Amino acid sequence: MLALILILAGCGGSKNESGNGGGNGGASSGDSPSSGGKVKISVWAMGDEAKSLPTIAEAFMKENPNIEIDVQALPWSNAHDKLLTAVASKSGPDVIQMGTTWMAEFVNAGALKDLTPYIGEYPEFAPDQFYEGAVGTTKFGDKIYGIPWYTETRFLYYRSDLLAEAGYPEAPKTWDELRDAAKKLADRGEGKYGLSIDMNEQSLTFMFARQNGSALLGEDGKPLFNQPEFREAVEFLKGFFEDGSAPLDLGLDTVQAFAGEGIVPMFISGPWMINAIQSQAPDLEGKWAVSPLPAKKNNMSVLGGSNLTVFEYSKHPEEALAFIRYMSKKETQMKWNELTKSLPANIAAWEEVPALHEDPKYQAIREQLEHSEHLPMLVQWEKIAQTYLDSFERIVRANADIQAELDAFNAEAERILGE
Amino acid sequence: MKIFTPRSAPYFFIAPALILLFLFSLLPIVIALVISFTDMDLAGLADYSNIRFVGLDNYADILRDASFVKAIGNTLFYVVFGVPFVILFSLSVALLIHFGKSRVFEIFRAAFYMPSVTNVVAVAVVWSYLYNPSLGLFNTMLNAVGLPDVRWLQDPVIAKISLIILALWRAIGLNMLIFLAAIKGIPKSYYEAAQLDGAGSWKQIRYITVPLLRFAIFFVTVTTLIGWLQFFEEPFVMTDGGPLEGTMSVALFVYKNGFQFSEFGYAAAGSFILFFAIIVLTLLQFKLRRHED
Repeated sequence: MLALILILAGCGGSKNESGNGGGNGGASSGDSPSSGGKVKISVWAMGDEAKSLPTIAEAFMKENPNIEIDVQALPWSNAHDKLLTAVASKSGPDVIQMGTTWMAEFVNAGALKDLTPYIGEYPEFAPDQFYEGAVGTTKFGDKIYGIPWYTETRFLYYRSDLLAEAGYPEAPKTWDELRDAAKKLADRGEGKYGLSIDMNEQSLTFMFARQNGSALLGEDGKPLFNQPEFREAVEFLKGFFEDGSAPLDLGLDTVQAFAGEGIVPMFISGPWMINAIQSQAPDLEGKWAVSPLPAKKNNMSVLGGSNLTVFEYSKHPEEALAFIRYMSKKETQMKWNELTKSLPANIAAWEEVPALHEDPKYQAIREQLEHSEHLPMLVQWEKIAQTYLDSFERIVRANADIQAELDAFNAEAERILGE
Repeated sequence: MKIFTPRSAPYFFIAPALILLFLFSLLPIVIALVISFTDMDLAGLADYSNIRFVGLDNYADILRDASFVKAIGNTLFYVVFGVPFVILFSLSVALLIHFGKSRVFEIFRAAFYMPSVTNVVAVAVVWSYLYNPSLGLFNTMLNAVGLPDVRWLQDPVIAKISLIILALWRAIGLNMLIFLAAIKGIPKSYYEAAQLDGAGSWKQIRYITVPLLRFAIFFVTVTTLIGWLQFFEEPFVMTDGGPLEGTMSVALFVYKNGFQFSEFGYAAAGSFILFFAIIVLTLLQFKLRRHED
């Protein structure tokens, strides 16, 4: 019933807002840039980094005195709801930071402006200056709906001191080594483990399956989740739980388990954990490192990050594009990396920021970035990934038969894709 | 012509309430009912021409959805174990506080009410630590007396019970206040008469207090039952429906489908099934009560 009310409130609210939005639009359409008035554009940004965005916006406004930027920082957890409301009411932001995994859904809903005509027009948007994988998250068919902003990839974090003791002076390079290192680390004693496998991480198995040569979806778009390549990846991951190399229900925070005596000395995550480890466990400095993922047939990781997009119903697309152009410039991207430590999508920025090409951590990340691909950009992907997590949970916790479970998951995925 | 005649005046007085009720309760319910017969998703939200009517398909699909069936089972589990315990505990606490002679009971009244006014997110943070498998207070205490760990939130059945304990703790306060108010309304003369006849305190409670609380008990039963059928906050903040969908309630299922997967039509169908279940059960209760009287 609560949920019902939420849905209803959403509908009722959106109706009201669309009324307001229309009113505002009418009022503000008078101050077009040609009339010399100030144009106000609203930028929706998400996550912790968004708090640093006003600094950049200030600099932009100095260069463009006729544009005023209003930055709204949304937490990732309720950004999706806010975006739904904006789409329903057809009013809200001008520029939206769009997580790469949400691109498909909002492009499909017609919420994002087609930027294809502008790509050739502005040199800042030229696709070849961004990582290829990042550009891939902006393309749907032959149209482009966003400009890469910052990028992310998953790689291996490990306690170099503990791995050295276990006979691994360097990070594991292959699946077999990873398996072996995890086992040796778990054998240190009761309550010690090797590798953390997050049961709620949607991308993990798909990433491992790709490393094992699975294409996830066939040429005809049919899912391949019950094929041997995929099954072996699931078996590989389940193996960590079976012999106690990976903890189930540890109840410890990643950094907590990583620091100190290193209850779980290896985990796979994205660049945001660097800051987390440095701030929460500063005394660990020098005892941990990152490395590209161990390989099976390849060591392909999952590419994520955010793009900047223009809201379809924006009243000021030109000004919105001016802001995105500013954000894509090498200098801004460097400044942004300095402020937030997020990884620039602009390749040239990597060359010029000393931290990025001197720090061995970032070198490892860069190597991984070149072997990263985004997950299939499909509207239904979220649902498929969530359905998979339920299957994976049954496999790990309830010891369900892997092939039977994957056959059922594959059939379900096929149904979801057919919708 | 005068608008404010004695005849029309009452309508003006109730108009604000009626308009609000219509705009924010009745109209949305009708809209949700319409949505439940469509395949509305995000694309439909952006452009209404993408919406197709699918008749009863959503209802047929959702009743075949194993997750939804599981959510119904879980919700019944919550109701069957939760509701009687809420009534039993809040009534007992109310009686103890009312008949307790010491000043200490005043403090208890505030202490028991505190959980009801505490933000559920703050509660969830604290209780996640209590239930934490490695660092939790509960397991530490069990270990201290030589008992093994309990998998509070990791076992599908125990997790349901853990959430019921949490919800119980949150629900006692408000219902206790309702019972206390009702107990205070019982005239002293009844007790005096009983004492003259030689009834002890247990007999006084058994034959005077509890029977005279019949209406309060009925009220608390109805509201608690409705509340527990919509069990949402506890699994939402503590377990997100896991493990193995063991704590998924119908309301949480609706929320996840609506807001995580943007399948508004499907979610609306789920919420209507829940809506009717609540209405039917509530009417049943009223019927039983009339029968009793």
